[in-house]
Amino acid sequence: MRALYGYNAGSAIRTTFEARKEKYMEQFLNENMYIIDLGEVNSAPEIIFELSSILDKDEAKNRRICLKLGNVDLNQAQILSIKSLINGIDSTLSSIDTKSVETEKVALSLGLIVSNVSAENVSGIVPTPEYKTAEELKEEMQTPVENEQENIEETSNIIEENQETIIEEQPVENTDNTNAEETTEQQETVGNENVIQFTAAPEKEDVQDELDVIFGSEPVNGNVFEMEVPKEIYEESEVLTDIVVPENEYTKEDIELEGFPTKYIKQTIRSGQVITYEGNVVIIGDCHPGCEITAFGDITVWGILSGIAHAGAGGNQKARVRALKMNAIQLRIANCYSRRPDSLNTVFIEKTNSFTPEEARIINGEIVVFKIND
Amino acid sequence: MTGRVIVITSGKGGVGKTTTSANIGSALAKNGHSVVLIDTDIGLRNLDLLLGLENRIVYTLVDVVEERCKLKQALVKDKKNPNLCLLAAAQTRDKSSVTAEQLKKITEKLKKDYEFIIVDCPAGIEQGFQTAIAGASEAIVVTTPEMSAVRDADRIIGLLEAAEGIESYKLLINRVRPNMIKANDMMSVEDVENILSCQKIGIIPEDTGIITSTNRGEPIINNDKALAGKAYLNVARRINGEEVPFLDIDEPKDFVGKLKKFFSGLGKGKEQ
Repeated sequence: MRALYGYNAGSAIRTTFEARKEKYMEQFLNENMYIIDLGEVNSAPEIIFELSSILDKDEAKNRRICLKLGNVDLNQAQILSIKSLINGIDSTLSSIDTKSVETEKVALSLGLIVSNVSAENVSGIVPTPEYKTAEELKEEMQTPVENEQENIEETSNIIEENQETIIEEQPVENTDNTNAEETTEQQETVGNENVIQFTAAPEKEDVQDELDVIFGSEPVNGNVFEMEVPKEIYEESEVLTDIVVPENEYTKEDIELEGFPTKYIKQTIRSGQVITYEGNVVIIGDCHPGCEITAFGDITVWGILSGIAHAGAGGNQKARVRALKMNAIQLRIANCYSRRPDSLNTVFIEKTNSFTPEEARIINGEIVVFKIND
Repeated sequence: MTGRVIVITSGKGGVGKTTTSANIGSALAKNGHSVVLIDTDIGLRNLDLLLGLENRIVYTLVDVVEERCKLKQALVKDKKNPNLCLLAAAQTRDKSSVTAEQLKKITEKLKKDYEFIIVDCPAGIEQGFQTAIAGASEAIVVTTPEMSAVRDADRIIGLLEAAEGIESYKLLINRVRPNMIKANDMMSVEDVENILSCQKIGIIPEDTGIITSTNRGEPIINNDKALAGKAYLNVARRINGEEVPFLDIDEPKDFVGKLKKFFSGLGKGKEQ
């Protein structure tokens, strides 16, 4: 498995993990952290009651809130309601620190940061900037970042064990080599232009959502990838050394995709139903587990995608899969294959009004899912 | 090696064929045997869900039959137990996509490499049933202590006796509720045995843990506390030829009752 972090459109490049860590620490120092310690509360209703009384105070408004929980198991609905409580007072839920494995799973599946903030001195509420020196906070902030890294490594280990189960052969024939080369060239040129554009227009506000953990995938040949972390650039441009991930600009193949005919389907796709089309497919409705959608071009689902989606079935590596909620059992793009991580196996996805659209595409030969945070 | 091909069937739907297949298969694998589970319920597959292997399926039984892949490629290894493999059914096709001869060929091939081939049969007595029993030499008829399920099991046993290749069949009585039997609201295990005049291989008590385990994609035999899990483990041992006494599903309830009485007595003593 490979995990990436969401980032702002058009402004991502790869750098080392260390550089990113420093970046985020600065970021955290600048922002208003606010830790709410509910470690000793033992039931979900109490948590919500305590939280609502704390959030009534003026000092909790317009903050990044770090929620510290004890052993309580929270389900998806409860975390979502906590999140909306916090959003209601113009604050954001920055991370959750919990001892419960259940809560951690659910929080991860919702795209929240799960961390273990080692705030030993914290009792009750501590608005961080006032209480701590920069040095102290820096020490604190190191812990969550490292823990995240560990979490991700753990999951990739599990997947590694399961690699045998993946079938050896790739489901689709190889694609045209010449085409692929052309694309990389184009990626580089267009990408560079793109970065210059975005460095000129820095936006600090948008950075808040970028730590959303998003599930990645592994291709059939089964190598476990090291984590590569895209990093956004604002203000300084001296780190512009690495390959740029292309964003919304159009390459030759994109235009080809646009030239494809598009099938427009306005219904719920249920288990056992198959949609195959030599072009793009747009589905307005949910795609339930057990359905299969195969398209030569892009697949766009205005709803929850839970079945199997195969975009670019003709071998088009630039094809993408988009959905309001990406919960696909398997994602296939051209000749790449990936399956949903076992950690995300939930019984069902709750339908809410607050989905973040997600998009899957091939980056360096593997399928990666991004949250679109605009 | 010549493996044993066992078909799990029932006639009536919803009596627990798939749950039984998943648990017996996992239990046999847990005891160190190599096992393949074949889901023949094409179009309404569930076995993959019960084992939590839904996200790993690329090729299915239909792909093997239509020669889009090799048999080995379609076998999905279990997450926990490397001895256990699943040959999943296609969800997007129907029962007519696999014929009896084709399935027989597949089981003959698998027999050479695996000790047990467990075939999960679809409900009904139509083509799907005929396909599922084609390659099997043994059958386990699953029934519940309800008149409708028993009647259907009787019909199935009649068909199994008439079918070629089935050498023996045993009865597995599922979802037994000792309390209801005591209150004379449910047929007892003996009643079912008498009506069907068939030897039993297992009695599985009703267990709410089955629902949880299905939703989580983990067979209940992995749950040490569940009584149903123990019962399935015993069935697996009996399949293997061991003589295991039938689990007294009545006893633990009484014991819990006694414990409850004991503790409630203590509590009262303290209050006074």
